[in-house]
This record gives sequence, C-alpha cells and structure tokens, in this order.
Amino acid sequence: MDGLIYFVGVVLPYVTLLVFSGGFIYQIVRLARAPLHLHWELFPYPETLGGQVSELATEVATLRSLYLHHRKLWGRSLLMHWGIYLQVLWLLLVLGGWEKVSWPGFAGGLACLFGALGIAVWRYTDPEMRTISSPADYLNLFLVALIPLVGLITGFYGQADLLRSYLWGIASFHPIPPANGPLALNILLIQCFLLYLPFGRMAHFAAKYFTYHKVKWGEVSRHA
Amino acid sequence: MRKVFDDYRALADNVLRPDEPRVDKFVEAMGKSLKKENWTFWLPYVLSLDYCMKCGTCAEVCPVYQASGRREIYHPVKRSEMLRSIYRRYFTLGGKLWPGLVGAKDLTEDGINALAESFYRCTVCRRCAYVCPVAIDNGLVVREGRKILDAIGIAPDELKDSGTQIQLKAGNATNMGTAAFLDIIEFMEEEIADTWGRQVKIPVDKKGAEFLLMHNAGDYLAFPETVMGAAVVLQAAGVDWTLNSPATGINDVVNYGVFFSDGELEKVLRAQLKTALDLGIKTFVVGECGHAFEALKYLMQRLIPAGERPFEVKSILELEAQWIREGRIKVDPGKNREIVTYHDSCKLGRLGGLYEEPRTILQAACQDFRELVPNREMSLCCGGGSGFAIMAKGDFLKFRMETYGQLKAQQLTDAGAQVVALACSNCKGQFREIINYYKLPLRFAGVSELLANALV
Ligand code: SF4
Ligand code: SF4
Repeated sequence: MDGLIYFVGVVLPYVTLLVFSGGFIYQIVRLARAPLHLHWELFPYPETLGGQVSELATEVATLRSLYLHHRKLWGRSLLMHWGIYLQVLWLLLVLGGWEKVSWPGFAGGLACLFGALGIAVWRYTDPEMRTISSPADYLNLFLVALIPLVGLITGFYGQADLLRSYLWGIASFHPIPPANGPLALNILLIQCFLLYLPFGRMAHFAAKYFTYHKVKWGEVSRHA
Repeated sequence: MRKVFDDYRALADNVLRPDEPRVDKFVEAMGKSLKKENWTFWLPYVLSLDYCMKCGTCAEVCPVYQASGRREIYHPVKRSEMLRSIYRRYFTLGGKLWPGLVGAKDLTEDGINALAESFYRCTVCRRCAYVCPVAIDNGLVVREGRKILDAIGIAPDELKDSGTQIQLKAGNATNMGTAAFLDIIEFMEEEIADTWGRQVKIPVDKKGAEFLLMHNAGDYLAFPETVMGAAVVLQAAGVDWTLNSPATGINDVVNYGVFFSDGELEKVLRAQLKTALDLGIKTFVVGECGHAFEALKYLMQRLIPAGERPFEVKSILELEAQWIREGRIKVDPGKNREIVTYHDSCKLGRLGGLYEEPRTILQAACQDFRELVPNREMSLCCGGGSGFAIMAKGDFLKFRMETYGQLKAQQLTDAGAQVVALACSNCKGQFREIINYYKLPLRFAGVSELLANALV
C-alpha cells in the first residue's frame, strides 16, 4: 500500500507533468505549424482585439451559443463548466496559500458533478443525442464527474492544507507522499484526467483558439 | 437507380459506380487529404475532425435537418461522423486500438455509396459553423469529403464534366459560342429599349475598361433581366465598363470548383484571371453570383499571389450601393411599389460579408422593403447552394423542394412579400422552382433589375 501511495504521489506526478505538457505542446505546435489555409471566415466577426477578447470571454463565461441555439443543453453545460472553473480556481487559491477558502472547491465539485451527470443522462435518454454519442463521449463525462464525486465523498475539498504541502513538495522537487489514502486517490484521479486531457476532445478549450482566431474570424478585415 | 442512402440519388450510377471496389482508393485519397499537401483547408479540416463535442447545436439550425422533420440521416453530426469514423479507423491510434470506444468503423463499399450521397445533401451553407460553440464546420467536412470523392472519380457531372470542364473549354459552362453570345446582347439591347425605354449600348470585349462585369453565364439564358438591369445601371452611372465574349477566354464567372475540388477551383480562377489580364481591366466586377464572389474575393487571395492579379475584385452590389450613396445614380422608390423582401445568399452574406450593400440598394429603390426572419448571418439557405441549383436528376429537385425549399416557402409566405429580391444566380434557380412548386403568389427579381427599374 505504501509503495502504491509512493508511486501515485511521488513518481506519477512528474510523469503526468511531462505527458500533460508534452501532449499539449505537441498538439499546439501541430496546429500552430499548419499551413496558412484559404480564407474561410464567417461574417460578421469582431475585427478588433478588444471585440474578439470580449466575444470569447462571453462565450466561455456564459456559453452563449448554447443559450441562443440549444437551450436544453445550456443549463447543465453551464453548471459543469462553472464547476470546472471553480475547482481550478480553488486549486490555484490553495497553491497561492489561501487554504482556508474551501467553498470554491465544494461548490465547484457539486456543480461539476451534477452538470456532467445531467449531460450524461440527457445524452443517453434523448434519442437524437444518443444516436450521435459514442462510448468515448460518456467516458469523458464520466471522468469529469468522477473527480468531484470521489472528492466530495472523501472530503478532498476540506483538505486544503494537506494538499498544499503536498503540491509544494512536488513543485520544489522534494516530494512527500500524500498524507492519507483518500488524498492519494483524489490525486490519482486528477492525474488520470490530466494524462488524458491533451489527447481527446476535451482539449477543445485549446482548439478553440484556432477555430475562432484562425478560421471563423479570419485574419484580415474584409476591407483590407 | 438503386437506393443507397435515402429516396434520392444526386449521383448517377455511372458516376457513383456503386458496385465497383473503391474502398482502398478512398482510404488512400483520404490519407492524402490529411497531409499538408492539402494545405488549402488543412487547419479547419483537422480541427473539425478532432474537436467536435457532439453537443448537437448545429442540428438545431441546420435547414435540411429541421425541414426533414429531424430525420436522423440528415443530422449534421451523423453526416460528419461518416467521414470521421473512417478517419479514426485508418488514421488515428485510438481508432486502431479501441474502434468501438471512439467511434471508428471499417469502410465498406456501401459505406462509400451512402457517404457520397449524404455529402450531396448538405449545401455547405455553414449556418451550423456560425453557431457552433467550438466553431466546428460540418460544411467544411462535407466539402473535404467531396474532394476525396472527386479524387476517386466521383463528382456530379453537372459540376465537373458538364461544368468546370466545359467552362474551361468553351469559356462558359453553358457552352455558348461567341456568335450566340453577341446575338443575345443585341436582343437584350432591344429588350431594354422596349422595357425601360432606354437606349443602352452594351460594350463587349473592350480593352482597358475600368470595370469588367462578368455574369454567371447561365443568367444570359435563364435570368436575362439581371444582365439587362446591370447594363442599365452601369450606363446610368456613366462608368467605363465592358462585358466579354467567349472569344476573349472565360466569360462565365461561375466556379463549380468551389463546391467539390480545389484543383478545379484553381484552374477556373486562373483562366478567369488570364482573361481579365488580357483585357487589361482595372476592376473585376462579379455579377449577381454568390459562390463566384466567394471564389474571386476570398478563396483566390491565398491561392494566387497578389502580384499576379493586379486588379480589384468587387461585387456589383458594392458598386451599386456606392453609386447610390454618392448620388451618382438617382432612384425613385415609387417606381417599385410592391412589397419587396431580400434573401441573404449564404455565399454573399455569411461567407461574403455583404449584408448592408443589398439593403442600401433595395431600401433606396423600393417603397416597401421588409426583412425575412431570420436574416443576415442567420439566413436560411434556400437549398440551391453548393451546386444543387443545377442538379435535378432523378428526384433530386423534389429533395431540394421538400427540405430547404419548404422552409424558404414558409418564410416567404410569413413575410407577405410580393417580390423576393435575389443577388445570387443559384438562389434564383432555386427560388424559381420553389415558387412553382409551392405555387407562391410572388415573383423573384434580381437586385440590379429592381434598381434599374427605379432609376430616374
Ligand atoms: S459541430 Fe459544433 S455544434 Fe455540432 S455537435 Fe459538434 S461541437 Fe456541437
Ligand atoms: S452547412 Fe448548412 S446544410 Fe450543411 S450541415 Fe451545416 S447547416 Fe446543415
């Protein structure tokens, strides 16, 4: 058992870090090195940097496309996405030393869990959604839901102090194994998620830079 | 013809060759399409293969899916997945290791038949791409799929053998010779005198003119009012302009390569370019033709270096709107008293950015102008796009009418319009049929025609 915790807590994080960053760098370089394609923009699009940033920010924060065109999915998806944003925020707060603040973790976990489950249930029960879904689509949602599910059960979001010393250990290359089994389990799940992230569709948040900036928004004004 | 996908067949047996083995060739052609030699659309193509979240938002706005009563086979994601499942199976590690998990499938001959037909049910209107949260482009997937099909010899003969190939040989896809062309011009001058009471001399093959106006050659036969209207407007504006005959090279602005092949796209563009250079004109004016504007204004930019095309490209709509704003031409809206509405062609609107120009013209030239709902970037494709307007084999016309056409007919009825103004030749072809098919109490008219009618 100790050996396993040591592996998960001390060895695997560096592997994860390498695979995660390597994977993302590979994907981004692959797309960034794409040859310049023919103009294929869609009008109208924001032509100033300010306009583009604000449109992307609105999309990320409110999922406006879903709100306008696919309302049935919007609520659950918003719940899941904000759940993820809050959990990431919580992790950053923990790293930064605000270990007393646990609500973004709890709230984020809850939102993410119910959002992802809500999408999965709808994906499965709506006949139309079901026909376009592959097992991988459920697997993605399952992974997204599993972290908060286990986290909420094991009280992960209340262990900020332990998590922080653990994370600092990793960051300073003096790794210490996670203080207890449940913490180790949560850390394992997060690592699995990160290992998979760059290689699946869930990396769409990064791909969006290219689909919007390089394709849909074009790169020149039509008046140029 | 036997059934391979739904009740229609866009591709005849001699084109589709449904019983010949084509799987290996398809996979090979697809392999090539994924390489950077397919640079023209590599980035959007790869993004659209890899990052669709299967959220289904595209289906909510897809005209053919909605109009079909949400038939599963017309779901945009279902269609794109036909190509993606091959991509995953033959070209990704995940698909080779866990085909069932990621949605990878072996390609079969029947699979090719269904894919080929399915990829000629979407007009590449890109309404879905406009609303997709990830900006994934089902229309582009369709176009890339058509390119692969063309690479293994499957392309509608209307678009290729009797389309681009004829155009490159005869100068226009209608296969009209110079003598016939000049006859039509003469006839038009007489018609203009009869209809508008104006003496118009239509200049042809004039070298060094400021504006070379190139129409969709089909307009000379099917929609002569557009050609005549434009001539009246250009003469009224007092500009130095010309049409050209097939004797000078290409005198047809269409480019069906836009719909299925980058190779054909480039060949036609280069031939048009050469004609314009030989004539030594200053501005290449695209007549009322949506996809031609896309080709010459946008697709050409990175395909042919700027130094090789020393002229500007403009839509006739841009010039007409500009001349109205400048007061160069004067109009009296009282001369068009009917209720007029405007249909945004996908290629001129979403793909071309021309939303204001037609409205400037129509609001000035018509007494009662009303919008269709929805319009502009959310305009519904009429169903004539991506080549469909000239494809009517078998029951294909019925497909066009019962799906896209049905939505459009409803929209026109709701608007209560008496005239629907159009600025795209393929739209005109489709609306002519919609109006017939649904016996709608209205007519269509070219924007230039309405403008000519309102000139004082
Ligand atoms: S194409 Fe876009 S809108 Fe359609 S399912 Fe994929 S991600 Fe959603
Ligand atoms: S391009 Fe148009 S017709 Fe094709 S899938 Fe998208 S919305 Fe439907």
